[in-house]
Amino acid sequence: MLTKRLAFSRWWMGLIVLLLIGFPFVSDSRGALILLTQIFIYAVFAMSYDILLGYTGIISFGHAMFFGIGAYTTAIFLHRWDHSMLSFLISLVAVLVLTGIVSYLIGVMTLRLKSHFYAMLTLAIAGLFLVLAEKWRDLTKGSDGFTFYIPDLLKDRTALYFFALAFMVIMFVLLKRFTDSPTGRVLQAIRENEQRTESLGYKILHYKIIASMVAGLAAGLSGSMYAITLRFVNTAVFGTNVTLDALLMTIIGGVGTLFGSILGSALILLVHAGLTDLAKIHWIFERWMIFFGALYILAVMFFPQGIVGMFRQWRAKWNRG
Amino acid sequence: MDVLLNLTINGIATGSLIFLLAAGLSLIFGLMHVLNFAHGALFAWGAYFGVWIYTQTGSFIVGILGAIVIGAVLGWLLERWIIQPVYTNTMSQIQVTMGLLLVMNECIKVFFGPNQVSVQLPSYLNESWLLGGVILIKYRLFVIGVGILVFLGLQYMLKRTRLGLIVRAGVMNKEMVQALGINIKKVFLYVFILGSGMAALGGMLFAPYSGVIHAEIGMDYGILAFIVVVIGGMGSMVGSALAALLVGVLGAFATFYVPSVALAVNMLLMFGVLMFRPAGLLGRG
Repeated sequence: MLTKRLAFSRWWMGLIVLLLIGFPFVSDSRGALILLTQIFIYAVFAMSYDILLGYTGIISFGHAMFFGIGAYTTAIFLHRWDHSMLSFLISLVAVLVLTGIVSYLIGVMTLRLKSHFYAMLTLAIAGLFLVLAEKWRDLTKGSDGFTFYIPDLLKDRTALYFFALAFMVIMFVLLKRFTDSPTGRVLQAIRENEQRTESLGYKILHYKIIASMVAGLAAGLSGSMYAITLRFVNTAVFGTNVTLDALLMTIIGGVGTLFGSILGSALILLVHAGLTDLAKIHWIFERWMIFFGALYILAVMFFPQGIVGMFRQWRAKWNRG
Repeated sequence: MDVLLNLTINGIATGSLIFLLAAGLSLIFGLMHVLNFAHGALFAWGAYFGVWIYTQTGSFIVGILGAIVIGAVLGWLLERWIIQPVYTNTMSQIQVTMGLLLVMNECIKVFFGPNQVSVQLPSYLNESWLLGGVILIKYRLFVIGVGILVFLGLQYMLKRTRLGLIVRAGVMNKEMVQALGINIKKVFLYVFILGSGMAALGGMLFAPYSGVIHAEIGMDYGILAFIVVVIGGMGSMVGSALAALLVGVLGAFATFYVPSVALAVNMLLMFGVLMFRPAGLLGRG
């Protein structure tokens, strides 16, 4: 039964990926291509957040710092060194090292704390990163930001589209394997009942640090990809809004389901694009954060399982007859 | 020496403002175990609404009253309709209050415009005295005075009234209070309204103190208030007051001598406290 269901969902995923691969050949809308590229990248960011929120049951308000570190590292490598593919790949390694170190240190310091304190502390630490990025103008050019050249191979929007798609699919498979691994199972046990997991002999802190590192690494990579699509970076990548976007995408799509994060990312970015168009009609749509914020509060209060969770509930009901 | 004294007075005035924000946060957390991320938004709302009333009526005192009223009303709405349904679920609580911070900040931009607003003091508060080499600014002393009054009022409320007795008992053991036939939900609501009112008052007093207000002050001061509450100990009023003074004075000195790391100083202080005394300086447990 379980294997059948797995095969079923795998079939669907395959179909979606095929459709996405086919997309650039049937449509020549540049805007749609760029939007989809962004969706893929944000999907990875949302999935990384889901490792924390959905699989381990911890709320971080500072996830943007890894995104920002990724974006800036890649941007600085390409800007200061040269804009070859080699330099890009080396920057990715640097991103992994940096986000690994930062997420480890922060995890060791803060993950002992209760959820309230952890949430507030991560918010404060991300705030420090934002201040740091604004003050260290030699390196970051502050809130003005800077543009840079990207490797020739990725300059073509279609090539970048495929690259981002591959990035998302690879990250999905890797993270899926992580969550299905014995370590991932322990994380879900922590989410369900921390005391019981601890009394079974698992070191909670150790596993939480692993979760936060995996989430940090993935978020860092999505940050570098984000910088590549924009060819520009400024301190906004460290903003709290970035974290809240991931939170919203994860919640709307369905926590604890990586696929939900992809769905959530698509939905939020599409709605965002729609609202930006509407802003020309009425200024209230410029303040689209109100809509997302209200949607988010309502989702947490009345709709906590998200789209994928709802779908699963329906299917379970239907199967039972 | 004069510089030191001036900085200390500045720090105490800032500390008084932070105390107004932190006291409510601490009381709400101590009693209800809700860490209200939207608390800073009430501060910002108090500032904007109060200043709006102040410019409409021309009276600073009416502005202050307006701020307290809007704080209390918003507090009532939030507690009753949004926070009460998620009392038992910590995860939802954190997320909902964070969402509220966001929505309320955006609402400020909708109602009062996205640009920062500059605020003038009324003339009777806009004076200063030169005493030796020390400049005494009247408004700073006024803020310190309000801070002391609120602190004393809270102490009186907690130690001498029946409501205070129930609140203190609730901090110790909620279930027991409920078992004695007291409707603790109602007490929660009162405490939340009280905390919100104080936050809004703090925001209104902050507005002419800094001269300009913008929608992000909610987030910035919310974090500062949280730092204060962690250092002082959740639920401890005296702890909050001491920590607010500490953070205020330390902040004043840091901005004067090492401006680039001013925020980091308070963060490091909080880290230190959390590492060695997780319950805060005066917290229990």
